[in-house]
Amino acid sequence: MPVDTFDKVYLPNIEENKTEWLQDYLKGGGYDGSKKALEMAPETIINVVKDSGLRGRGGAGFPTGVKWGFLPKDVHPRYLTVNADESEPGTCKDRPLMEQRPHTLIDGCIATCLAIEAEAAYIYIRGEYYKSAKVMQQAIDEAYEAGFLGDNIFGSGKKVDVYVHRGAGAYICGEETALLTSLEGYRGYPRLKPPFPAVSGLYGKPTIINNVETIISVPFILTKGADWFKSYVHERSTGLRLYSVSGHVKKPGVLELPMTVTLREMIYDYCGGIRNDHDVKFVIPGGSSVPWLLPHQLDTVMSMEGVNAAGSFLGSAAVMVLDHTVCPVWAVTNLSAFYRHESCGQCTPCREGSAWMHKILMRIENGGATMADLETLESIAGTGKPNTGMISGKSICALGDASAWPVGSAIQCFRDEFVKHIEEGGCSYRNKRFWMSGDKFVNETAEHHPRWH
Amino acid sequence: MPVLEGRQEDIEKICAKYPPENRRSALLPVLWMVQEKEGWVSQDSMREVADVVGVTAAEVYEVVSFYTMFQQKPTGRHHIAFCQTLSCAVCGAYEAIAYICEKYNVPKHGPSEDGRFSIEAVECIGACTEAPAMLVGETLHGNLTPERIDEILSNCE
Repeated sequence: MPVDTFDKVYLPNIEENKTEWLQDYLKGGGYDGSKKALEMAPETIINVVKDSGLRGRGGAGFPTGVKWGFLPKDVHPRYLTVNADESEPGTCKDRPLMEQRPHTLIDGCIATCLAIEAEAAYIYIRGEYYKSAKVMQQAIDEAYEAGFLGDNIFGSGKKVDVYVHRGAGAYICGEETALLTSLEGYRGYPRLKPPFPAVSGLYGKPTIINNVETIISVPFILTKGADWFKSYVHERSTGLRLYSVSGHVKKPGVLELPMTVTLREMIYDYCGGIRNDHDVKFVIPGGSSVPWLLPHQLDTVMSMEGVNAAGSFLGSAAVMVLDHTVCPVWAVTNLSAFYRHESCGQCTPCREGSAWMHKILMRIENGGATMADLETLESIAGTGKPNTGMISGKSICALGDASAWPVGSAIQCFRDEFVKHIEEGGCSYRNKRFWMSGDKFVNETAEHHPRWH
Repeated sequence: MPVLEGRQEDIEKICAKYPPENRRSALLPVLWMVQEKEGWVSQDSMREVADVVGVTAAEVYEVVSFYTMFQQKPTGRHHIAFCQTLSCAVCGAYEAIAYICEKYNVPKHGPSEDGRFSIEAVECIGACTEAPAMLVGETLHGNLTPERIDEILSNCE
């Protein structure tokens, strides 16, 4: 394990898995972010955040301060919505943040509300995170009791309310406009942009939507300064980042690191290497939606620019590491099933395309496919790059792209293995046993229970 | 007996979180209230929820049928949601699911005969670094092995 030369701020004691309740947070100078924000003009807060270079931690990486600046002048009420619908496969950093640092998140909500002149913040927590929702609600109750939330926060005469709103199991609700539709009590269908939420969002009012990790960064930036944040830098990626490393590493977990770390350091120094000292087969560097990286790309710097240069995206910084026992066709079939299941059904290319890709992939994996199937699959999925194939760039939201990119990328990376599957009439991998039992389980239920693909 | 009887105060507390003209935002929270009490959301409860929130029963059904966590059929006393997405799948999720179904006699649809368990293979539950993982009721369990699974499930009555 390398010796870190920096102080962790987000989750310094993640292993202990303890909730920092109000008293503990105040001991460490809690709510200083909000108190500082109260002394600053809204534009000043926005400028500090702009200066820090903070970019959205949910996946898209849009500069946070710039997003806040899009709010139309003098239109009120405005809303802050915190996206805690963390559902991108591989990503599990917001859950420990909410369960261990609930007051830091509330601190961030208050500071952000002051910056964007909003009086209400909704934290949309995915339904599966029962504990996160309970912890957040309890922390919010503490904050109201202490007078940090409500009609007169910290005795300043300003009003900020923070509410928890729970989702109920829909990946699509992590898409910002789908989240708003869901929060309004409808099916979580994404909306066409423009108008962007900053102009017309929740209840048609100007709304800022930020990821949990983004909002929790705000108090750190306000108290430690934009320069501290910028001291961790790789090209245009600033600050420390939470990486969720899962799959076949010896010690999976959520790592807090500067974005100068390479994929190789992450896997071998921080996560103890690959189980049984196997070889890396491929790595998914930013959540299941992004194109794959191959072993020769292990020296990729894990910043937004570094991963882009390698032909993929840092996304939500969820790093899935797969060893040589994993069949890439099987893996992408699994992911394809996910997108088929999670497509909201609004746009034809995504709804039909994701199911079509999955059906062809099942055929290739289980036997019975022809080379024509592979060509069809390539024509649907494209090459793993934006706006290639029949889906990417043709749907309202990015779920369409997300369903196509891994498939296109898998074919680009492992075309020979797809061909081998077709020639040999199915999968010959050791881990086929996973798929066989799983496939049987899944298929038997498909006809009766449409929710199980 | 109506499921929301006597809950008016709680419902109004939920509704107060949203602007008065946007009462519909309370739909998901009120549906959760029903599911927490009953374990599932019946058509009768959907009609009740519709009246409380001020929408039609069809609109409630439209929403219930979209969100996979709302159960439209009764579940076992302990509902298991086992993650089957990639990070869990490469760490043995499918075998674990098969293990539970076989050892605890849980059929793939509906609850076991004694009503103790029901199981569902679900998509990513955000516990990828603790794969394989499952939710039993509201509690998340990660780093599962057959021994851990037995330990957890044997404590479920």
